[in-house]
Amino acid sequence: MKRLLKVLSVSLVSLLVVAAFSFAGGSKEAAAMTSQGGRVDLQGKTIHMTILGIGGWIPSRLGVEMAPIFQKYAKEKYGYNAEFSYQDAPFTSLYQKAATSLATHSQEFNIIISDSQWLGALSNAGWILKLNSLIEGNPTLSKTQWWDPIVQESYQSYPDYSNELWGLPQEGDVLVLYVRKDLVDNPTNQKNFKAQYGFDLPSTFEEYSHLTMDKYIDICKFFTRPADGLYGVAIQYSKEYDYMTGSLYPFIWSSGGQIWDYKTNAVWGVLNTDSNAKALETDVSLLKYAPPGDVDYGIGQVLDAFTQGKVATAWQWAAEGSGMITPQLEGKVLVVPLPGFMVNGKFMQVSSLGGQPWVLNKFNDPAHMQVAKDFMAWWYLPQTQMEFVKQGGNSVVKDVLDSPGFDNIHPWLRAYKYELTTEHSRDFWHVPQYAQMLALQQEYFTGYASGAYHDAKSVLDYIAAQQQKILYDAGISKIPPPTNIANIVAH
Amino acid sequence: MMDVLEVNERAAGGKRGPQTFRSGHPRLSTQNVARLLIVPVMLFFVVWNVIPVLWMVGLGFYQYSLTNPTPPKFVGLHNYLSLANDAGVWWSFGRTLLFVILSVGIETALGAALAFVFWGSVRLPGRRLALTLLFAPMVLTPVAAGTFFKLIYDPTFGVANYIIQVLGGPKVDFLGDAHLAFLSILLVDIWMWTPFMILIGLAALGSVPTAELEAARVDRLPFHRTVAHVIWEHGKFVLILGIILRTIESFKIMDLPYLMTSGGPGNKTEFIAITLYRDAFNNFMMGKSSALALITLMTAIAFTSIFLYVLHYQRERKTI
Amino acid sequence: MKRIARAAYYIALWIVALIFFAPVLWIFVSAFKSKSELLSIPPKWIFTPTLQDLAQTFHTNLFLRNLINSVSISFIAVVIAIVVSFLAAYSFSRYRPRGTDFIMFLLLSIRMVPGAAVIVPIYLMYVAFGWTDSYVGMTLFYTMFSIPFSVWILKGFIDGVSVRFDETVLVSGGSRFQVMFRVILPQIKPGLVAAFIFNIIFTWNDFLVDFIVGGKDVTTIPVALATGLYTSLGVDWTYIASVALVYTLPLIVIVFFFQKYLLVGMTFGTVRGEV
Repeated sequence: MKRLLKVLSVSLVSLLVVAAFSFAGGSKEAAAMTSQGGRVDLQGKTIHMTILGIGGWIPSRLGVEMAPIFQKYAKEKYGYNAEFSYQDAPFTSLYQKAATSLATHSQEFNIIISDSQWLGALSNAGWILKLNSLIEGNPTLSKTQWWDPIVQESYQSYPDYSNELWGLPQEGDVLVLYVRKDLVDNPTNQKNFKAQYGFDLPSTFEEYSHLTMDKYIDICKFFTRPADGLYGVAIQYSKEYDYMTGSLYPFIWSSGGQIWDYKTNAVWGVLNTDSNAKALETDVSLLKYAPPGDVDYGIGQVLDAFTQGKVATAWQWAAEGSGMITPQLEGKVLVVPLPGFMVNGKFMQVSSLGGQPWVLNKFNDPAHMQVAKDFMAWWYLPQTQMEFVKQGGNSVVKDVLDSPGFDNIHPWLRAYKYELTTEHSRDFWHVPQYAQMLALQQEYFTGYASGAYHDAKSVLDYIAAQQQKILYDAGISKIPPPTNIANIVAH
Repeated sequence: MMDVLEVNERAAGGKRGPQTFRSGHPRLSTQNVARLLIVPVMLFFVVWNVIPVLWMVGLGFYQYSLTNPTPPKFVGLHNYLSLANDAGVWWSFGRTLLFVILSVGIETALGAALAFVFWGSVRLPGRRLALTLLFAPMVLTPVAAGTFFKLIYDPTFGVANYIIQVLGGPKVDFLGDAHLAFLSILLVDIWMWTPFMILIGLAALGSVPTAELEAARVDRLPFHRTVAHVIWEHGKFVLILGIILRTIESFKIMDLPYLMTSGGPGNKTEFIAITLYRDAFNNFMMGKSSALALITLMTAIAFTSIFLYVLHYQRERKTI
Repeated sequence: MKRIARAAYYIALWIVALIFFAPVLWIFVSAFKSKSELLSIPPKWIFTPTLQDLAQTFHTNLFLRNLINSVSISFIAVVIAIVVSFLAAYSFSRYRPRGTDFIMFLLLSIRMVPGAAVIVPIYLMYVAFGWTDSYVGMTLFYTMFSIPFSVWILKGFIDGVSVRFDETVLVSGGSRFQVMFRVILPQIKPGLVAAFIFNIIFTWNDFLVDFIVGGKDVTTIPVALATGLYTSLGVDWTYIASVALVYTLPLIVIVFFFQKYLLVGMTFGTVRGEV
C-alpha cells in the first residue's frame, strides 16, 4: 500500500507539471506573428511546405500537383526554392485532423484546405491568419474578382456576411443534378412519358433550369423500374458528416425557407416552420424512387449508383463530375441545376454550396508564411486558374468563368456557373459550434428518413430548440431557446 | 506456493543479511529484486495510464473547449450533471450494455458449442488450415471489414441481399432500416469474434486433465455429468477469463458501427464510444467528454469486477 | 458406418470454417476485380483477374512506408511489452509483492477504457511532451496497451513452472537472471506466443491512436486505408480489398505457423502440453 501511495504521489506531481505545461501553451503564438508590410527575404533559401487536404479528392491535390509551376515562378520572381508535399485525411475526419494539429500550435500543415463551415471554428480559436491585409496589399488578390458575391460570403467571411476574411476559395462547388441524357432523349421514353404525365420529358439545360419539384418527381416515378434494375434518383441520406443535410437544404431553401437568421443567429422559429417540414417530407419522399439502400447513401454510393447505371438522375456535387461521368457514360450525361419550387408565383431554386476555402496556419514561421502568401497570390493568376480548370478543378474567378468556351471544357461547368450565385445557392452557418449543430441535425434528419421518427415538424422543432440552446449557451445568439425545451421531443 | 527464497534461507539456517555467492556478486535483497522487476511495468503504467486517467478526472470538472481561445473554466460538477440530464447519453449507455450482453452472450454460447464440435477433431485433415481459416475474421482490419460489410449489406450492390433473393425473400435494408441496423452490426461483431471464443473454448477444454476425462469415460459418466463435474471444474477459469476479455473489448466498440452507419440511422447504433468520440473530436468539448469517459470507465470496471469476483471465487473454491 | 459418420463430421467442420472465412475470402478475391466487377449483382465468380490494381496499390499513397510503419511500430511495441511484462510476471509469480492482485486488476482496467476516452488526455499529454507524430510516442503507447494481457498470460504460465527449477539453479550458484532467462523463459514459449499474437492483432489493426496522435511520419495502414477510402471516383473498393489482402495475410500466416503455441498459450498456463 505504501508503494502505491508513493506511486500515486509521484504521478500527481507529474500531472501538475504536465498540466501547467499544456495550459501555458498560449505564449508560443507570439513568435509566429508576421510582419504586415515588409516582405521576408528568402533569396537562395529552400522552404518546404505542407498542404493538408481531402483524401482522394483531385481538386484538393491539384494544389500540390501544380506546385512545380509555382516553384519555377517563385524561383524566377523571388529567388527561393519552394517544395510542396501533400498530406491528406479522410474527408469526414479532416476537421479532426486539422483541429488537433492546430491546437498544438504546430507548423505541421502550412496551408489547410478546409470546408467552408469550419471558418468560424478555426478563426475563433485563433488558429488561422486573417487575410484582409494580405488581400488588400497584394496586386493580384486585390484585383481578382470573384464570379459572384456568394463566393466571398461562403468561402471567406466569418462572421457570416461580414467583411472579415479568413480564407481564399480553393475550389468552388455546388450540388447539381446529373441526368442520363440517353434515357431522356430516347424517343420511346419521350412518347410514353408524354402519354402518362401530359407534358414533354425535359431533355435540355433550359428545360431543367425551370423544372419544378412536382414535375421532377414525375420524372423520377417514370424511371423507377425495379424489374429492370433502374430507379429514378440517387440522393444522399447518410448520417455521416453532412451528407443528408447537404441534399436536404435545397428543398428548404427552394421552397422559400431558411435554416437560420444570420443577423440574429436565431434558429428557433426559423428552421421549424411548416413550410420546412413539408420540404423535409418531400426530400424523404424521394426514397420511393431511389434504389433500395439509398437511405444510407453518401457521396460515394450515389456515384456508384449512377456510374453503374442504376439511376436516371442523381443529386451530386459538381466537383465529382469527373468521377460521375466515366468513360462509359461519356456523352450520355446532362448536368443541370436542381429542381425548384413555385413560391408566391415565382420560380425559386437554391442549391447547396460546397467547395473548400484554404486557410493559412497562423503559427507558420515568417519564412513559411511568406511562401504561403506568395503561393496564394500565384494561385489566383489567370493562367494558374485556367490550368486548374483544365485539370478538373472548379475555379471561382470571374474572368475565368467568363472566358469563351469555358462551359465546354467539362460537362458540369455550365450548371456550376449557373448555380454559383446568391440567387441559386447558399451555404451552411460558419459558427464555431457548427460541428455540434451538424451532428445533432444529422442524427434527427436521418432518424426521420429511416422511419424512426414520423412527424417532420416535431423533428424540426427538436432540432431548432436544441440548436438555439447551443448558440445561446455559447453566447453566439442572444435569443434563448424556448422555455418548454424539455418537452420538445421528436417523434 | 512457498517463496523460493524462503526455502533457501531456511536451508541456510535462518535469515541473514546479503550473502555472497561463489561468483562474488553480492546478492540483492529479495524485496529489492521483486520491486526492481516490476519497475518497468509500473513506469509504463504510471505515465500512460495513471497520469492520463488523473488528467481525465481533473478535466471532467472543467469546461474546456479546444476550439475556444478562452482558458478552461472550472465548473465543478456541471459536466456530470448535464450528462445525467442528457437522455441521449443514457440511451447510448443502455444500447451499449445491451450490445455487450448480446454479443458476448451469443459469442460465448456459439464459441463454446463450436469448441466442443472441434474438440474431437485432432485427426481432421488439414486441421491447422481449417482452424486458421476459422480464426481469420479476428485478424481482419476493422476498417476493411466495416467498409466491405457495408457493401455486402447494401440492398442494391451487396451479396447478402442477392442470396436472400435467390432463396426467395424480399430485399432487406440491413443498415438503413431503423429496426435492423443494430442487429446487423451485432451480426458482424458475432462473425468477427466468435472465433475468439472458439479459441478460448478449445483452450478451456484443453485445460481439462486427460486423466480425469479418462476416468469419467471409464466410469461411464453421462455426458452432461462429465461436462458439469469434470469439464466445467477445470475449464471455467479460462472460459471466464475469455469472457472478461471479450466483455472489455465489446464495451468499447466503435470502429465497426462508425464505419458502417456513423451511429445511425438516427441514433440506433450510437454506442457510448461513438458518443465519446463525437464529444471529444467533433465538438472538441474536452471537459464534457472527459466526464463521460470517467463514467464509462467506472461502468466498465464495475462490469468487469463482477466477472473477476466470480473468477476469484471459483479459484478460491478450487484450492480449498 | 462409422467411417461415413466420421467423414460427415469432418466435412461439417470444414463447412463451418469456410462459412466464417467466406467474407474474408470475398474481400481477398475483390482485390483482383475491377470496380464494376466488384459491384455487379449477381456477383461475379468468374472474372478476369487483374493484377494491375493490386500492383497500383503498392505504388500509390506511400503504401510501402505505411506498411513499414505499421509493422515496425506494432512489432517493437509488442516485443517491448512482452519483455517488460515477463519481468513483472516473474516477480508477481515468485515473490508475490504486496498489492499483486490489485495491480493485476488495475492493469486489466487499462483495457476497459474506450479508445476515444483515453486518447483525449494522451493527446494533450503528447502535445505537452512534443510526442505527436513520433515513432517513440506511438510505439510506447502501444507497449502500454499490450502490457495487461501479456502480464496475465505470462504470470499464468510462470505459475505453472515448478519452483524447484528456480531452486536448482539458485542453489548451484546461478543468478536470478539465469533462472528467468535460461530456465523459465524456454518453458513458457506458448505463453509468449499467445501474448505476442493477441496483442499484435490489436496494435496492427488500431486506427484511432495513430489517427489522432500520429501524423504524416507515422501513418499506419489502417489510417491510410480510411484516408484512401474515397477518391474522386467514389469508394475505391479495389484499393481497400488489395490493402486488406496484403495487410491481413501476415497475421494469417503467423496464426497458421504458431497455432499450436497459440492454442496452448490461451490456456493461460493451465496446460503445458497439447490442446
